[in-house]
Amino acid sequence: MQITSTEAEESLAAIRSMTQKMRRAAAGGGAHYFLILWGIIWFLGFLGSHFFTDDLAGYIWLALDILGGFSCWGISLWLSRRVHKTGDSVNGRRIGIFWASLFVYCGLTVWIARPPDGKQLAMLIVIFVMIGWMAMGLIFSLSIIKFAFFITALALSGYFLLPDFFYLWMALLGGGAMIGCGLFIRFKWKSA
Amino acid sequence: MNELNEIIHQPVRLRIMAALTALGPGEEVDFSYLRGLLDVTDGNLGAHLRKLEDSGYIAVNKTFVERKPRTFVAVTAAGRRVFKVHTDALKEILKSGKNN
Repeated sequence: MQITSTEAEESLAAIRSMTQKMRRAAAGGGAHYFLILWGIIWFLGFLGSHFFTDDLAGYIWLALDILGGFSCWGISLWLSRRVHKTGDSVNGRRIGIFWASLFVYCGLTVWIARPPDGKQLAMLIVIFVMIGWMAMGLIFSLSIIKFAFFITALALSGYFLLPDFFYLWMALLGGGAMIGCGLFIRFKWKSA
Repeated sequence: MNELNEIIHQPVRLRIMAALTALGPGEEVDFSYLRGLLDVTDGNLGAHLRKLEDSGYIAVNKTFVERKPRTFVAVTAAGRRVFKVHTDALKEILKSGKNN
């Protein structure tokens, strides 16, 4: 079989492109779904906390968090079906149990600690959701862990440095950054 | 001097092998997901996978996930070996072309 060096170059370029696409899809392709989902939830939830009473904002958060938990379960289930290891022990039921347990433990912590103001409650929820992200990162993509650290740092800096604007900070910078990062990853993956 | 492999060199099969060898050991990819990644039809992908499977370069695993039939595809050890030989041959051709 004989081919020219130009054909060889084109074949190698096709191999490189496909290899990159698959590696991104297998390793980091799922991160953007979690980012965009939680970005939207945080944007809406923290705007609610800024503009509405604590009670009403609490109900909005409860609904959004339940929706987020179920959606994470669905996304994780879907991701685990794309590329998996033979004899893989990760399945949708276990991931679902994990998220449900996390919310139960978060609820128990809030019940015991009884945070006196909404900002402390918000930070507790943020920390628990980030623990969930860490676990998903360990299973699906290490890049999710980097974002979890970044978002936690962003939330803590807003909590301690800008307490009066904490909710707006979290809605615009926290939620906005997640949506932006998610769209960036999505775009980068598509163009690879 | 490494030899080019005629079965692998076909453009769609080359991309299939590139995608599968990018996976880690023991990892396999869902048929529908691979079809989307390669942007080919079911029939086209199926035909190329059969050819590669008949050559022993890939393994097709038909299974049930949560009671639904699913097909997963993985590269075999032999497939990895011949793909490496093929890419090495391509690099040699490119190198000799540049030297001339």
